[in-house]
Amino acid sequence: MTPHRVMFWQIGNVWIFYVLAGLATGLFLAGVVAYVSVWKKSSRSLEIPFSKEALKRMILDTFLGRRVLQGDVAAGLMHLLIFWGFLSLFIGTSLLAIHHYIFTFLEGTAHLIFSFGLEVGGLMLLAGVIWALIRRYLQRVPRLERRLEDAVVPLWLLLAALSGFILEGLRLAVERSPWGGWSFVGWCLSGFFSPAGAEGLYPYLWWGHALLCLGFIAVIPYTKLFHILGAPAGIYLQGASKPIVLGMEEGAGEFDLGDAIFFDGCMRCGRCVEACPSVGAGEPFAPRDFVQALRQALWQEHFPLGDIRFMSPKEESKVDENFWYCTTCRACLEICPVYGAAFEVVTKKRVLAVEEGTMVPKLLNQTLEKLFKYNNPWESSKRKRGAWADGLELIDLTKRGAEADLCYFVGCTTSFDDTAQMIARSFSKVLQTAGVNFGILGKKEPCCGDIARRVGELGLFEEQRKGSEELFDKYGITEVATSSPHCFHTFKNEYPEAPFRARHYTQVLRELMAEGKLRFKKGVEATVTYHDPCYLGRHNRIFDEPREIIRAIPGINLIEMTHYQADSLCCGGGGGRMWQDLQGEVKMSEVRIREAEATGAEILITACPLCLIMLEDARKAAGLKEPFRVMDLNELVLQAL
Amino acid sequence: MSDVLILGEVKEGSLDLKTLELLGAGKKLAGELGGEFSLLLMGDSVSGMADEALPYGPAKVYKLEHHLLQGFKTDLWLACLEQACREINPKVLLMSHSFLGMELGPRLACRLNTRLTTDCIDLSIDPEDGLLLRTKPVSGGNAISVFKCPGEPQLATVRGKVFAAAESGDANGEIVDIKAKIDESMIKVESLEIVREEIVALDKADVVVSGGAGLGEEDGFELLEELREALSKSFANVMIGCSRVAVDKGWISSDHQVGLTGTMISPDIYVAVGISGAIQHLVGMVHAKKIIAINTDPGCNMFKVADYGVVEDYEEIIPALIEKLEELS
Amino acid sequence: MTEIRIIVCAKQIPDPEAPLSDVSVDAEKMEVIVDAPQVISPFDENALEVAVRLKEEAGGKISVLSLGKKVSDTVLRKTLAAGADELILLEDDNFENLDSHSTAAALAGAIRKIGDYDLVLTGRQAGDWDSGQVGLILGEMLALPCISLARDISIEDGNVLVKKNIPEGYERVKAQMPALITVSNEVGELRYISRTKMLKMMRGARSIPSWSAEDLGVTPEALQQMGITALSSPPDMGRDCELLEGSPDEQAEKLAEVFKTLR
Ligand SMILES: Cc1cc2nc3c(=O)[nH]c(=O)nc-3n(C[C@H](O)[C@H](O)[C@H](O)COP(=O)(O)OP(=O)(O)OC[C@H]3O[C@@H](n4cnc5c(N)ncnc54)[C@H](O)[C@@H]3O)c2cc1C
Ligand code: SF4
Ligand code: SF4
Repeated sequence: MTPHRVMFWQIGNVWIFYVLAGLATGLFLAGVVAYVSVWKKSSRSLEIPFSKEALKRMILDTFLGRRVLQGDVAAGLMHLLIFWGFLSLFIGTSLLAIHHYIFTFLEGTAHLIFSFGLEVGGLMLLAGVIWALIRRYLQRVPRLERRLEDAVVPLWLLLAALSGFILEGLRLAVERSPWGGWSFVGWCLSGFFSPAGAEGLYPYLWWGHALLCLGFIAVIPYTKLFHILGAPAGIYLQGASKPIVLGMEEGAGEFDLGDAIFFDGCMRCGRCVEACPSVGAGEPFAPRDFVQALRQALWQEHFPLGDIRFMSPKEESKVDENFWYCTTCRACLEICPVYGAAFEVVTKKRVLAVEEGTMVPKLLNQTLEKLFKYNNPWESSKRKRGAWADGLELIDLTKRGAEADLCYFVGCTTSFDDTAQMIARSFSKVLQTAGVNFGILGKKEPCCGDIARRVGELGLFEEQRKGSEELFDKYGITEVATSSPHCFHTFKNEYPEAPFRARHYTQVLRELMAEGKLRFKKGVEATVTYHDPCYLGRHNRIFDEPREIIRAIPGINLIEMTHYQADSLCCGGGGGRMWQDLQGEVKMSEVRIREAEATGAEILITACPLCLIMLEDARKAAGLKEPFRVMDLNELVLQAL
Repeated sequence: MSDVLILGEVKEGSLDLKTLELLGAGKKLAGELGGEFSLLLMGDSVSGMADEALPYGPAKVYKLEHHLLQGFKTDLWLACLEQACREINPKVLLMSHSFLGMELGPRLACRLNTRLTTDCIDLSIDPEDGLLLRTKPVSGGNAISVFKCPGEPQLATVRGKVFAAAESGDANGEIVDIKAKIDESMIKVESLEIVREEIVALDKADVVVSGGAGLGEEDGFELLEELREALSKSFANVMIGCSRVAVDKGWISSDHQVGLTGTMISPDIYVAVGISGAIQHLVGMVHAKKIIAINTDPGCNMFKVADYGVVEDYEEIIPALIEKLEELS
Repeated sequence: MTEIRIIVCAKQIPDPEAPLSDVSVDAEKMEVIVDAPQVISPFDENALEVAVRLKEEAGGKISVLSLGKKVSDTVLRKTLAAGADELILLEDDNFENLDSHSTAAALAGAIRKIGDYDLVLTGRQAGDWDSGQVGLILGEMLALPCISLARDISIEDGNVLVKKNIPEGYERVKAQMPALITVSNEVGELRYISRTKMLKMMRGARSIPSWSAEDLGVTPEALQQMGITALSSPPDMGRDCELLEGSPDEQAEKLAEVFKTLR
């Protein structure tokens, strides 16, 4: 006899099984349909752009678990075990169905390999699920929540897998077929059962196992298990291109399909909670909770029966009103398995809040008014914008006949803040020393629009963008260097029709170094560490230039903090937070300054006016004294010239 | 009739300092008009204060008493004031620029069909037409304007601390009773409850003494507190402010913080002690009328916005300053 | 709850936030020149905010009146964007530099013309001349119950309940409507008006009615100007820091003198 498997061995009334299977599939499909209907209703557009890149990314991420592995290998392996275990059992069962109903092929060697594969799959699943339970309930990994469904789902899987193995053991105990050893787990278990007892027990357990498995399928859309479908869909959509800036009329405050799927694809892994500086500072905001609250809100609004995830708490926390806390630092996107950009959703919520008007915090309200009236968030006047340059004899590009190769765009905060003005003065002197022919816009310099954009005042941003573009156009400016990574980011990524090339000063300095125009004559004997500004590093991937410049200075010893490059911690000044009167238990900047201090470096270097102010402020508040200092990269460079 | 009439105010059972200053102003104006000045006192029981006022030289002290005048009910006080003005018929009526003056002044002006100038810092009589020249800061104190308006009585509310208080001397005047013609039906706005509050309302301070990181230690605020007390002898509403660093260090609570993320204030005088003048701090106080900076660093930003500066360790200056202030007062 | 009709008086002034250096005085022309954009006087914005909140609660209609020789509807349309239903400009050559009494008379004319209202709200004082009179005079002229310095306003069976600032704290008062209330900043800032909303309001072809003195039934003779006879800069406008020199003792002495002069 060739090795084979008897279908529905010992099972009567098979039709009941078919009914149940139909029911499970129906429930599953009904759930999926509900999702699709909610997505349809909550999204501005249903367009699914085709992108090969995104498709590739989706497939690789899904099957190799790259995003889950990244940054947390243990979690990644655990997930891979469950994923592949589950998948192989699922495929196995499907093959069996094909074998039974369509054409018979699982015979002989094929059957043996098949049996063996299923055993391995089952073991992987078991191991993964047990590991998951250990991580959540014994190891108590901090980022993991312990809600009802977090226990129900893995226990369900555990029972399904165990009952499967026992069932097999029972069957083999009766059959004792010569090829039974290939199903090695079941074979081992079969030793524990007497054939007669096994035969009696088998049907009951079989129905139990069937119910567990069918139920599991059915329950997928009604629990966080939906990420099985939602995550890949989310990954695909987050990778497909999106419009850069939408106007109000174009539905800037509305969710798109990618957002809605992201909310449903989020499996509450909490990686973002671990990374979010707002959470780290003890503020009442966390991206995961924000996303979950939005998810629930969408269901409550667009689905007659409310939240489909019946095990979710009835009221998700109100964090969706605390979106002003987000600094848009991008740390959450860096590690989210489904590439969820919580901060972009935050911006959408802000767009709506700004449009509505009553939920704008007082200080931000005043700042926006000031931005509109005076094109800067600090002074109720445009007059003193160029005052930092007094005595430096710089070319004012807005004066008749003035020309230069490079326009230095100073930015609001660098122009008006006493601490930050140093960046402007140092950079100007460095450029002068390097013999660069550059000019500034003096008191005509506008605001780039970063603040307006980040806090969701898109109408104002649009006006500022147009104004700036016209100004640059008018004075024939094609090359721009900015002090602030924020201006740089805004120009580079959010001015689709920019008539100029914008670079951050670190790029300019790096280039001058390569051209040999910037030579460090003096050494600086110091141990320093470098803080990556979010909008330079994470948002624009400029990690190396500043480090190369620092390392080129003779005598300098650059050491890294615990969090650096893409993993850097936010100073707390971005995303309009500088102009909001919000406080957590500690300040983000203080967390950061402590980390810098812990390296033993004497100088903390950064390359952004907001970081400089926030960190200098934190240094004072933390009472860190000389020789520990906070410095802008320009200042250091100037010292070494 | 009296040429200049002053509306008196009573504080804690005695004549308010502001009223004494008004008496000083009234005397001056009466002199310029070649006439006399009188005082009007209203309330449920003001006889004691009438006697107290006579030595300051008014020709008459009009006394308008009524049990309904207990507590301040604008409608009734206004009716009494109107009645008194019609009976006394003064050429000039002065009130202090206080809650009371601002509640009554504008409405009285309307009822008597005359013009009021509020918050005057100087008053004199135009010799040509005998009208009142009213000097008043406008545009948030960025300009000083002199007004002259028709109508009788000539009406002004006067800022505190600009006229010297009248000196007491011989009491030659007489006390005149006016019978109030008021009744409850005149009350259009009914008072339900008065809620007293004690809060650090930094934005209501006239003088703010502020300390920053330069104080070096928590005890620095004790010295500032002493300075505050010394200044309180000459100024109303002196309060302690601070920079955010001082709050962060836990030296003082955050309701004292001035600046972007604290309170925005525009007091008459702002004294910045050991505060460097970061823009986040400046936005909260540059609108102060006068800024005084004490800082060891002559290059610090605060001196760029200050009117007066002292480059010196605050621990040297403040004790000496407190001493001098005591001598002066 | 019955609907409520509110009239808000809002004045256009140069931004009072402008720094000292942007303010100058033309003594000859007797004008204060503020090189700053025009805005709605901040306390008037507070008044508008309460009005909108009351309307949101009870429903009703808000009319905004703004008076001047020439009123910029681009500034005042903000009131419509904030939730006012109607903006009426009171414009007339004779409306230049009016004194408080005449301003109130003109506003009273407009309010009588509107006729049907429950509340008249004004800011406690205007941000330019800081006079603090127009509201209360207006109340007198219209013979309304007057409540000043409101920090909270609510409506209850035809009565208005107000928490008003008093030196000791606040007083809860009640009056029958219609009534006049001057509003203080404690009620809260005007909600933020986004640029998109503003632009929509600008583009909207809605025509803004403008009433002249004649429309209001006020004769030019009844209108008086402020009667400025002189205008000057305060003693030392624009800041130049005077550093007090000498030993600490001498410095302290000089500083004490400064305090004395400021007293
Ligand atoms: C988003 C944000 C919001 C902020 N909001 C505010 C705010 O609302 N309010 C605020 O104040 N700050 C605010 N800050 C902080 C602000 O940037 C400054 O860090 C802070 O104001 C500095 O405080 P300071 O002047 O007391 O300290 P420092 O800048 O350290 O200045 C201390 C000064 O004391 C002087 N000094 C030292 N010893 C003596 C002595 N013995 N006698 C006299 N002088 C001495 C020094 O010369 C120095 O000028 C904010 C910062 C950020 C980033
Ligand atoms: S962008 Fe930064 S602050 Fe905002 S949610 Fe993500 S991690 Fe948190
Ligand atoms: S948003 Fe992303 S990182 Fe955060 S919990 Fe959800 S899936 Fe995890």
